[in-house]
Amino acid sequence: MQNRFLPYLLTLPSLFLAAVVIFWPVWDLIQISTHEVSRFGQLREFNDFANFTALLADPDFMAALWRTGQWTVLVVGGALLLSIPVAMILNTDFYGRGIARVLIMLPWAVSLTMTAVVWRWALSGESGMLNSALIGLGLIDHNIQWLASAETAFPMQVLIGILVTVPFTTTIFLGGLSSIPDDLYEAAALEGATPLQQFREITFPLLKPFINIAIVLNTIYVFNSFPIIWVMTQGGPANSTDILVTHLYKLAFRIGKLGEASAVSLVMFAILLVFTMIYVRLAMREQRA
Amino acid sequence: MSLAKWTVGLMAGMSMLAFAAQANAGEVRVTVAEYSAKTGPYFDSVKKEFEAANPGITVKFEVVPWEVLLQKLTTDITAGTNADLSIIGTRWLIDFVQQDVAEPLDSYIKPDFKDRFIDTFLSPSIMDGKTYGLPIAASARAMYYNKELFEKAGIANPPANWTELQEDARKIKALGSGTFGFGLQGKEIETDVYYYYAMWSQGTEILNKDGTSGLGTPGALEAAKLYKSMIDEGLTEPGVTSNNREDVQNLFKQGKVGMMITAPFLSNQIKDEAPNLKYGVAAIPAGPTGARGTYGVTDSIIMFKNSKNKDEAWKLLDFLFTTEQRAKFTQGEGFLPVNKEEAKMDYYVNNADLAAFTALLPDARFAPIIPGWEEVAQITSDAMQKIYLGGDPEAGLKDAAAKANAVLKK
Repeated sequence: MQNRFLPYLLTLPSLFLAAVVIFWPVWDLIQISTHEVSRFGQLREFNDFANFTALLADPDFMAALWRTGQWTVLVVGGALLLSIPVAMILNTDFYGRGIARVLIMLPWAVSLTMTAVVWRWALSGESGMLNSALIGLGLIDHNIQWLASAETAFPMQVLIGILVTVPFTTTIFLGGLSSIPDDLYEAAALEGATPLQQFREITFPLLKPFINIAIVLNTIYVFNSFPIIWVMTQGGPANSTDILVTHLYKLAFRIGKLGEASAVSLVMFAILLVFTMIYVRLAMREQRA
Repeated sequence: MSLAKWTVGLMAGMSMLAFAAQANAGEVRVTVAEYSAKTGPYFDSVKKEFEAANPGITVKFEVVPWEVLLQKLTTDITAGTNADLSIIGTRWLIDFVQQDVAEPLDSYIKPDFKDRFIDTFLSPSIMDGKTYGLPIAASARAMYYNKELFEKAGIANPPANWTELQEDARKIKALGSGTFGFGLQGKEIETDVYYYYAMWSQGTEILNKDGTSGLGTPGALEAAKLYKSMIDEGLTEPGVTSNNREDVQNLFKQGKVGMMITAPFLSNQIKDEAPNLKYGVAAIPAGPTGARGTYGVTDSIIMFKNSKNKDEAWKLLDFLFTTEQRAKFTQGEGFLPVNKEEAKMDYYVNNADLAAFTALLPDARFAPIIPGWEEVAQITSDAMQKIYLGGDPEAGLKDAAAKANAVLKK
């Protein structure tokens, strides 16, 4: 008897906390998004999901949705590809490893907004550091207006996104690498395995659970990431670098359409929920097999 | 427990929290926008002086960056935890009035109080015959030009119209060495306004007489073509859509831009940051018919309907709008005087820069008082950015006019 209730009792405090900080706002969002709502959030009548149909009819929303997909895949994928070799290098013993580790972790210590502000200055067309550096190196002969159009602004934002995602990802992988026993490599080396074979047969499979964690967590963070794009372009020019969060912010706090903004927010929540569930399912099935 | 009971319980908990945050009797909470580094210290001194003169009343100023002010107010009002008074952009006032959160001030305003104000600046805060706000900050736009570049290029006077401006920009461009004729803003707040300067000079207004958007008129098209041709000809700074107002102002302070249109506060910034820059302030160029327009802006301080300390809050307002307090604030921030007595002070009378701004006031247009204005402004900014990036002006404006009209019809 006692045993059956105990687990529930023990999870009750955290369930209560989750209710206050997660369920209640989501419930509120559902209320706002399904009702006609005033400029300042007072609910009026139920409006037959008009906020959701308005989104589907809005080309800016659809474009932002598509761009959010690109943004998430590119940043998460890029950070992953970069972090595995970085973590492997940092895991080997070499002179100055401490400093190298600190250098890699450093971007993590700076607030994301400040990083974005610094890059905005660095990418300024006439007085930016990047242009003067490139001209100094003789790589370009006239200033590039990085943030003037999406063709150059968005790739730069993706690169910065990767840069700030690498430290966290590397940390996860370093933890993973240190859990792989050294004798596996020694045994493989004795059998004559090349470094590439060692990576394919030992490192990568044993790192997989950590890669899965990194993918899920990074996807959630990056999908919801606001500062980089907002600070550098505010989703502009002409909404051409908008992702869902920046689109939502403009809808809610510039134009005052709280209902539609709440609908966007719920759509984002649903996408992440479905992604996480599917991904965790797949990853776990693989592990069991 | 049923869901409803849970909701009630949570609501009760939340309202208790909110209640704890509520003001005590005799405390006046004010949300103010941070216009510059001088804003915070100014309101600190107001708190000291006012509390010393009015024992029993405490004042709490919440200084908020301008960019997040509307967001803060929206969330505060939604949660019912807004302050007693707040600075708002006057163009937002209609939303506050329609949603019934702003208190009319007419019962407090005595004739001699009303008489302190210059009418041009008080009238935007009056709606349906009721005064809902007091103009705490007022500003207009005029054209700054770099005298040194003008001299080098052999130009005697600032351009009177857009044709002259284009010629002058060509001469300044010909100087080479990274100088640009006309600073054109193409990013963030007031991107639409920068386009209106050209549009107004064509005799086109933001709203036509029948209440539809002016973007679909031939005058609007002429204006867009003018800016686009200047970009194509290289008469503006490169990468227009990556430069917001501050970016263009910085180029001007560095002496790289010949002309730009902006607010009086640039004079204060130049005094602090580039004291050796030789510049002048002139009228905004006129169009072919001599029409011209500048953008007039006021920010209002409003009282919230749910304030529990209205009398105390009014006392503070009365104090803020004394000539002495106004002069301190306006001169620190580089705004225009809204108070008649203040405008007569030597500081304003002998200031050539400010004289150019006040001379333009008869041509000033304020943001139209319509619900959904922010959305129309956003539509216009987006359309301009597309055109500045190489889009077709005619198609872009037609599309924007249709979108704006859809908003205006609601």
